[in-house]
Amino acid sequence: MGAAHKIAHVAYKGPSVVKEIIYGIALGLTAGGLWKMNQWNNQRRTREFYDLLERGEISVVVEEE
Amino acid sequence: MIVLEWLFLTIAPCDAAEPWQLGSQDAASPMMQGIMDLHHDIFFFLILILVFVLRILVRALWHFHYQKNPIPQRIVHGTTIEILRTIFPSIIPMFIAIPSFALLYSMDEVVVDPAITIKAIGHQWYRTYEYSDYNSSDEESLTFDSYTIPEDDLELGQSRLLEVDNRVVVPAKTHLRIIVTSADVPHSWAVPSSGVKCDAVPGRLNQISISVQREGVYYGQCSEICGTNHAFTRAPGNIGRLLSPLWLSRTTPGASHPRSKLLQRAAGAVGSQGARQ
Repeated sequence: MGAAHKIAHVAYKGPSVVKEIIYGIALGLTAGGLWKMNQWNNQRRTREFYDLLERGEISVVVEEE
Repeated sequence: MIVLEWLFLTIAPCDAAEPWQLGSQDAASPMMQGIMDLHHDIFFFLILILVFVLRILVRALWHFHYQKNPIPQRIVHGTTIEILRTIFPSIIPMFIAIPSFALLYSMDEVVVDPAITIKAIGHQWYRTYEYSDYNSSDEESLTFDSYTIPEDDLELGQSRLLEVDNRVVVPAKTHLRIIVTSADVPHSWAVPSSGVKCDAVPGRLNQISISVQREGVYYGQCSEICGTNHAFTRAPGNIGRLLSPLWLSRTTPGASHPRSKLLQRAAGAVGSQGARQ
């Protein structure tokens, strides 16, 4: 019964383990890289915020009227 | 100016929990910033591993589906892959450990000469704060209790179960020492924005050092079960209004308030120019 199926189709070679691992690591690094970009962006914005605060261009204190 | 305002509004710090909040509150101290950075560093590795494992899992389900691959392989050993899958996962914790230990030991450093020491004493179910630094010999410390404002007494715009009647007022950009203890049962004094959580244990003094980098009102809640009203106790009772080095000039109205007078003496002791008498 199994042989009958095999006759009709090309024998299935199966995946290459090394290739799959490499593709997986590459995809993981890409996703991790996107997260890192998000982290660096947040850090830049935080730094800019404190720089603006230090220079006095913005304030976190409500001015008294 | 509009651009600046837009920029400011988009990154306006929020120092209390927001509805449906997913991440941490905005950092107000270097310690909290370090904690968030460490979390983001570790999250990179989490994403890397998650994506890798999901990819391999999906590909395995795809390639070895019973219709596509009716005869399963009988593999029982694979020395190379076993070595690799042992070594690589053991390298990742090493990369995580480096920033983790750096933060851990820097958080443990005790500030030798803080500008002000505040005692936070936990009670069931309120806080008492003491400022004892600037007493004359025959004076008592400035001491006050801090109770959560009941829901019925809240004003418009105030946060439910976060606001207190007497806030702790401390200077910004200054090294503070907070000594935490309890008068009855264990409590815990926590301010997420500042990255602070310190157990208040009866019969013990726990010390933490904080330096808050910007002015604002910071909120926290009791973090150790302490009885019926544990959920209704504010741990710091608000860090209160953390003001610039000219903080006393902004503390009034209420120049005759005993708290202001004490803190004006404190300002005189540190040479501030802006204090009102």
